[in-house]
Formats: sequence, structure tokens, C-alpha cells
Amino acid sequence: MENNVLISVKDLSKSFGELEVLKSVSIDIKAGEKVVIIGASGSGKSTLLRCLNCLEDPTGGEIIFENENIADPHVDINIHRQKMGMVFQQFNLFNNKTVLENITLAPVMVRMQKLRRQKHLALFGKAEKPTETKAQILAEEQEKAMALLARIGLAEKAEAYPSTLSGGQKQRIAIVRALAMNPKVMLFDEPTSALDPEMVGEVLDLMKELANEGMTMAIVTHEMGFAREVADRIIFMDGGVIAEEGTPEALFGNPKNVRLQAFLAKVL
Amino acid sequence: MEQLWTRFSKAFLVQNRWKMYFEGLGNTLLIALIAALIGITIGVVMAMVNYINKKTGKLKIATKICNFYITVVRGTPVVLQLMILYFVVFAFWDNGIMIGAITFGLNSGAYVAEIARAGFESVDDGQMEAGRSLGLSTWQTMRTIIIPQAVRNCLPSLFNEFIMLVKETSIVGYVGIYDLGKIPGLIQSRTFDYLFPLLIAAVLYLVVVLALTRVLHMIEKRMAKSDRNAGGATNGK
Repeated sequence: MENNVLISVKDLSKSFGELEVLKSVSIDIKAGEKVVIIGASGSGKSTLLRCLNCLEDPTGGEIIFENENIADPHVDINIHRQKMGMVFQQFNLFNNKTVLENITLAPVMVRMQKLRRQKHLALFGKAEKPTETKAQILAEEQEKAMALLARIGLAEKAEAYPSTLSGGQKQRIAIVRALAMNPKVMLFDEPTSALDPEMVGEVLDLMKELANEGMTMAIVTHEMGFAREVADRIIFMDGGVIAEEGTPEALFGNPKNVRLQAFLAKVL
Repeated sequence: MEQLWTRFSKAFLVQNRWKMYFEGLGNTLLIALIAALIGITIGVVMAMVNYINKKTGKLKIATKICNFYITVVRGTPVVLQLMILYFVVFAFWDNGIMIGAITFGLNSGAYVAEIARAGFESVDDGQMEAGRSLGLSTWQTMRTIIIPQAVRNCLPSLFNEFIMLVKETSIVGYVGIYDLGKIPGLIQSRTFDYLFPLLIAAVLYLVVVLALTRVLHMIEKRMAKSDRNAGGATNGK
């Protein structure tokens, strides 16, 4: 049980100037768990999610990921972010890159960086001489990216630029772009809020597939039907604290917190 | 009529004087080109420092230095800057064309910094966040994602800066550099007639500027076209 915890958040707080957005929030996310975070706008739910990979630097508290406190500014956050995929409300595909390049860019750069480091070390006899070459890395990552694109049925869009795609296509590509890094956890920040209604389904379907494959997921969403279906645990944020948490059945069926009752009355 | 032709001939044909105009024009373009390269380099670096400072809060001192540089360069006349570099800083160096190019490069850098700053600001914040969320460093994201988009967005303005430079560099004649703007004076000193030398130089400037403006319009058109194509999926046309 104890070893099963993938991300452990302890007393996390975050302020923007005077404004205190998160007030001492603590949660554990277990490997394979699907945690859905709900709440009214301004409740701190997106900030909590963005703190998990330090896209927002926490003002206080700890985030333990793989036995390291990644909230500590001395930790090389880039290495940890490579294992935490993130999907944004506005997709944020790289506009100057094709779909294929969007997916391969980060894996290729990260692997090339490792390759160069190993080469330097090998020069001083401190490591094995690397056996892979840039061409190999590129070919491998392209193959992997094409497989991911084929999986979401967008293989023919590999050479297209993001601006030619629909919102649903963009978001599905953004999801597989994160998957290309083989992350241990996926963070979703309102992934369907910027989509036209008819495109919400295709994105949620892909997320359900991921959930069924056992991916650890933390999701901020307003899709209550999806939350009920996929979540192992639902967290209701209010005023920068976790006001109530529990299974979907407990939260939706028998909400105790008054604010949660009011929130559910509005969104359901 | 005949008299006008003699005056023109003296200004342009006698002693192959037309060559002087084209040599001057060559120097003008050389100075403008080198100055543009220096200016764009300085300007983009300064805009980048400013951008990183804004997004991450790092590089505070570098940003202060950049802002000081921009204030001083934009707040003083370029003629004085030219004289300071020509007569003081590079007093030991007799390559006037290079000194002129460096002066205008340093000067233009302060203006390009503002252009490039707008270019960087036009890139959506989400692009940097997406790069960082994938585990790339700030610099890796800048290099592969932000800079290419920022440069593309301000390409027309950058090219316009080059056109400005072609005209503005005419003051290098002030310190005795033989650019196109200096030639009419040289010829007048032989023929005691300013009319045609000035007209010819003006026409040459105009032709070059018009040609470059055409190139600029072509760039703008191409960019608009690729933007239209890009938006095709949602526009339907």
C-alpha cells in the first residue's frame, strides 16, 4: 500500500502575490489510480494540477515523486517532467511543427541529450561508448509516433500542421504527444473545455482507453458523467482546500459538504 | 535642352562617373546588410533576455543592462553615435565601411529589440508551457519552438528595418565614408553643379527602396497565404 503511492502531496500551498490559491493541500495519488478534481472556477483545482509537475512553483509544502521532493527548486525538474505527461485546455500543439514533429520533438531531444552526455563520459572512459546513433533514435521515435497516430486514426495527418486540424484532433494529438514520453502519470487540465460539443466524445473516449490500460491519471474536468464513469476517487476543491473526497458513488450519491451540494445542483 | 544634357553628362558619363554612384550604392547596401545582421542578432538576443525575464523572473541584471542600452541608443542622435565610434572608439581603425556598419548595427539593435519583443509576445504562452511540461529546458523550448515562431511573426517588420537602414546609413558620409549619399558632393566638387548628382543619387535610392518594398510585399503575401491555408480547415475555403 505504502509503496504504491506515485505522487504524494504534503501541505502544498500556492500564492499569487497576496492571493492564496492553495491552502495546505495534501493528497496521495497511487499508481494506476484515476483521480478527478472538480470544483467551481477559482477553487484552485487547475493550480493544484499545475503544481503537480511544478508548472506553477509551489510556495510551500512538498511533492514527493519517485522519492524526491520535486517542489525543491534544487531538483532538476525537467527529468521528472519527462515522466509526467500533461494535456492542456488549449491543446498547445507546437504551431511551427508538423503533427509528427510535435510528437517526436521532445523524445528525440531528450534521448539526443543523453547520447551526447554519454559520449562525453565515454571520452574520459567513464561510460560505455554509446551504440545508438542520431538516425536510429529519429527512426525509432518516428515509428513510435506513427504507431501512436495510427492508434487514434490520424496517421494521414502526420505531415499536417496543427492549424489545419479540428479541436478534437488537436487534443488527441496532444494526448499522444504526452504518451510518446512513456509517462508514469498523465495530468489533464480541463482537456475538453475548449472543444466544440461534438468533439468532446472522441477525446473522452481516448482518455477512457488510457484509463482502462491502467495509466495513472489526474484530471481536472467539468464532465461529470465522465468523472463518475472513470474516477476511482473524486476530489472536490473549494476555496483552495479539499472540501470533500471519496468515490464517485459517495460524492455524487451522498454529498455531505454544503458547497458540494450546491455545486452539483448547478452542474448535474 | 542641350545645356541640360551637358550637365547630366558631366554628372554621370564624363570620366566614367556613373561608376562612382554604383560603388557608393554597393557600399550603402554592404553597410545596411552588415548593420541589419548585427542589429537583428543584438535585438533578438535582447528581446529574448526580456522574454525569459518576464516568463521566469531570471536574468534580472541582464534585463536591466538591455533596458539601459535601449534607452541610451534610442535617446541619442545616430550622428553622434557614429562620430563617437569613428573618431574615439575605433580611432585606430581605417575601415570606415565596417565602422559605419557596426554603428548602425548597434543602433538598429535597440530598435529591433522592440520589434522582436512584440514578436516574442505574439507567441502564445501555452507553447512554452507545453515544451516545459514535456521535460524540455527553457532554452531548448526557446530554440525549437518560441524563436522560430517569434521571428516568423515579426519578419515583415525586420525586413522593413533593413529598408530603413538603406536610407538612414546615408549619414555615414558625415565621417567621410563613400556611400551613395556622399557621391553627389564629390561630383559637385568637380563640376560645381549639384542638380543632377543629387537627382541621380535620389533615383538610385528610390529604385532600391522600391525593389526591396516589393520583396517585402511578396513576403507578406506569402505569409498571409500560408496563414489562410492554415486556417482552411475551419474556414472551409
